[in-house]
Amino acid sequence: MKSKNIYKPIKAKLTEVIDESPPIKTFVLIPEEEFAFKTGQFIELSVDGIGEAPFTPSSSPHVTDKLEVTVMKTGYVTEIMHKLNPGVFMGIRGPYGRGYPVETFFGKEVLILGGGCGLAPIRSLLYALEHIKDHLEKVILCYGSKTPTDCVYKPLFNRLNNTDKFEAYRTVDKPDEEWSESVGVVTSLLNKIKVNIANSVAVVCGPPIMMKFGTIRLLEMGYKEDLIYLSMEKNMSCGLGKCGHCMMGEYFVCKDGPVFTYNELKNTPDIWK
Amino acid sequence: MKVTADDLKKIRFFDNYTDKQLDTIAAISSIKEFKVKDILFEQYDELVDVYVLLEGSLSLGISLANDKRIHLGTIEEGQFFSWSAVFKPYISTAWVMTVTPAKVISIDAKKLNQEIEKDCDFGFKTMSKIAQTISQRLSDTRFQLMNQLTL
Repeated sequence: MKSKNIYKPIKAKLTEVIDESPPIKTFVLIPEEEFAFKTGQFIELSVDGIGEAPFTPSSSPHVTDKLEVTVMKTGYVTEIMHKLNPGVFMGIRGPYGRGYPVETFFGKEVLILGGGCGLAPIRSLLYALEHIKDHLEKVILCYGSKTPTDCVYKPLFNRLNNTDKFEAYRTVDKPDEEWSESVGVVTSLLNKIKVNIANSVAVVCGPPIMMKFGTIRLLEMGYKEDLIYLSMEKNMSCGLGKCGHCMMGEYFVCKDGPVFTYNELKNTPDIWK
Repeated sequence: MKVTADDLKKIRFFDNYTDKQLDTIAAISSIKEFKVKDILFEQYDELVDVYVLLEGSLSLGISLANDKRIHLGTIEEGQFFSWSAVFKPYISTAWVMTVTPAKVISIDAKKLNQEIEKDCDFGFKTMSKIAQTISQRLSDTRFQLMNQLTL
């Protein structure tokens, strides 16, 4: 029997490019074969002749014939990706790593703290949680961005606030004249929510500084270390725990993560770098 | 408008106070209402009251030398603010303005300080809660600063 080549990407047709904010676009891809993943797992997305980069899909894990990947322009590969138009083919390999253990969230409240482009994996998680909402008590999303323009997935918030058991709040560091929601860092939103900490899990995903201050605040609020899930998406390269590029303490982020509990990482040096 | 102990029981800031202590706070408090864009106090004003937001939304910020207002954060319902009224020199470190019509509980800061002096348990609870508010404000400010430094 021929085994699957884990390094070989499958072809996926780019069908739509959605502008989310000036440096962020969402790419809608139709893979040539069914592509299943668990929310929080990541993929390597490639452009022929250019290179590949790791991303966590932002689409529902329950949709296997279409994949959405939100890409922030940060380097050479992502800059090329931002210039792509619908119709071209890209490569996908994966999925890799350990996602969110949503099956352990049953019967609980889920508090999600997100910042900037960290909302991409969170959107996939939100789709997964919507799928099992009858088994959840409540889902609260607190999201922060620098300015209203930097806020991604704008229609998502209205939709969540009109979905039973879901609450979504946004804040920005620097408001404009039209902004009518909260102002301040994302942790300030924790002053307005009502959450039963004893029956709750927390998820944090965003820039390292946001993850650090968010985690500290959650610990102060009384969250247990093993019930704070961190999406540590950094430096992943091979996706298979071979190259060592993403090594963090004793862990390979790509293989052992990217989702970890704070309890697993708390003794790892420089986790917020 | 008068405040009762039952009004205070509904607010997170007043958790853990005894009924007698809540009666004490109620006796030195009143409810004040503000319209949109009303200024509750300016930066560097001398403060005589501390507040807890009951309804609405408030913006907190600082002013620059050219009178430009910088919004630093939103005060949410149930939050305590104007803590400078309890500590010397009783001068506000920020301005607070309404974003929507707002209703606040206004507590006479001088009388609150007298009660803090009189009743150790009441004083410890109140100072702990104020310290927590200031600590969170400091943590948020550090977070904002780190955000700016890493831009």
